[in-house]
Amino acid sequence: MSELTPRQRVMNLFRREPVDTMPCFSGMGMVTIQAINEMGIRFAQVHTSAENLARSAKITAELFGFDAVIIPYDMCAVPEALGRGISLYENSEDILYPTVPSKWQSFDEIEIPDDFLSRGRMPLVDEAFEILKSEIDGNLALGGWVLGPFTMAGQLIELDLLLKGVRKDKERVDAFLSQMTDLVIKVAQHYQSIGVDFMNIREMGTGSDLLSPKVWKTLIQPNLEKIFAAIQIPTVNHICGSTDLIIEMMNECGADALSVDQKNNVIESRKKLGDDVLLFGNFDPYGTLVTGDVSEVEPVIKKCIDDGIDAVWPGCDLWPDVKKENVEAYVQAVRKYGKEASPAVGRIS
Amino acid sequence: MGADTKEEILKNLAECVVEFDEDGAREWAQKAVDEGMDAFEAIMDGLAVGMEKVGELYDQHEYFVPELLMSGDALYAGLEVLKPHIKKESVKNMGQVVIGTVQGDVHDIGKNIIKLMFEVGGFEVHDLGRDVPLEKFVEEQLRTDSEIVAMSAMMTTTMVGMKKVIEMIKEKNPNVAIMLGGAPVTQDVADLWGADGYAEKAGNAVQEAIKMISQLRKLQEKD
Repeated sequence: MSELTPRQRVMNLFRREPVDTMPCFSGMGMVTIQAINEMGIRFAQVHTSAENLARSAKITAELFGFDAVIIPYDMCAVPEALGRGISLYENSEDILYPTVPSKWQSFDEIEIPDDFLSRGRMPLVDEAFEILKSEIDGNLALGGWVLGPFTMAGQLIELDLLLKGVRKDKERVDAFLSQMTDLVIKVAQHYQSIGVDFMNIREMGTGSDLLSPKVWKTLIQPNLEKIFAAIQIPTVNHICGSTDLIIEMMNECGADALSVDQKNNVIESRKKLGDDVLLFGNFDPYGTLVTGDVSEVEPVIKKCIDDGIDAVWPGCDLWPDVKKENVEAYVQAVRKYGKEASPAVGRIS
Repeated sequence: MGADTKEEILKNLAECVVEFDEDGAREWAQKAVDEGMDAFEAIMDGLAVGMEKVGELYDQHEYFVPELLMSGDALYAGLEVLKPHIKKESVKNMGQVVIGTVQGDVHDIGKNIIKLMFEVGGFEVHDLGRDVPLEKFVEEQLRTDSEIVAMSAMMTTTMVGMKKVIEMIKEKNPNVAIMLGGAPVTQDVADLWGADGYAEKAGNAVQEAIKMISQLRKLQEKD
């Protein structure tokens, strides 16, 4: 059996070409406290230095044997570039992700500067991508992600306004989401031009816990279709929370792969989608890697694969404070049970 | 006021909440006041009943979060009219609650609905807002001597902060009841950290908040 490099493994998977074994990677944050500690820094310091961002991603991948690296870790780079500020919690001893301190209070305040890609920490993230690209030297896959238009909108304007606006202020919400769609395309294409290998669009605020499938079809789907049509590198359509009712519509959006979390009934989804669609997921990273016992990890990962997943992805960012032995067990289980062909991807014989 | 009129007012208050009719809720609430109806009864057997129905519609996938929020607005519109007319003797003093979303979490739609439910239920609510430093919860509990501290976190990434608050509060005052809400918090997590209650089922905070109202109505009915 010929062995592929991690990057080849990931890229073959996206092309639905045979792999030697299932790659172990994610389209969401994969930084761990073990890497942060090894660097001798605090979590709050990782977001504001290109060097720290790149190194923490690379060290994590090396420590555990992941097939890809992915940055950034927080969701504030774009909002910050649009003038919404950032709370870094630099004095906190806990692991806290940065948040957006000042959202727009009305639709009238929305203003998107043309040069936002060169504002805030956007250039810093670019630099981190460049560092990673040269350091991983084509061996690991390089992942990027952007929030989907609705989720991005929720980072920028009061959620209350946005969610009620779906019913009460439809025209303005529509117009705002069009702007967000153009913005997401601009960011994704920018990362594509830097040399990112795959792009995850995280439209996580649109599961059926929040929005009706009907609203999803009319308000979310057309924008996602536009986004996936505008990106040439492999893409993933990720939504967390309840996705059973919208999985087929997710598939109509045109991404190369779908990603769902532990709330999705993968056996049923696989039946709906057929075997040709790349489906990623779907374990609870907090319960499995942070609070759970190491003995519980393997059965969780095995179940994802048995249910019909093509690549075992955590349902969300890895919570950095993982137990080392649990992450090791997760990677080992992916390698152990990932040798056999998955529904959409064969194995090199 | 005849039984029919009372029945009609209660029915309409509930319907206005279900149909997100803020103006209607205000008008029927005023009508309840004008007719000399017990304001607390109008809240609990009118507005709150509507919100319970909204919770059921959410469970049945008829309503989603936008609808819940709009119903919340209609409930609030009615509540504003009725609240000044509540007679002290008709409502049991339920106590005080300190509420907020923990540091690192700026999502407060769930917290705001929970707050509204506590207000409906006759609690005095001390709202710390969102992205609240952990020690603030402890300070505010001590300052107000509140019986309940309710914390909400929507993100996995912030719920760990709750554990610290529970420890800090329990250390100073073991009798304080701690409620946790928010999508990532499960019963296991609540047990593990020594919390007294949590919003059942990790659906979302808004849905859980609405379920609270049934509990609060039962508490009010008890002698």
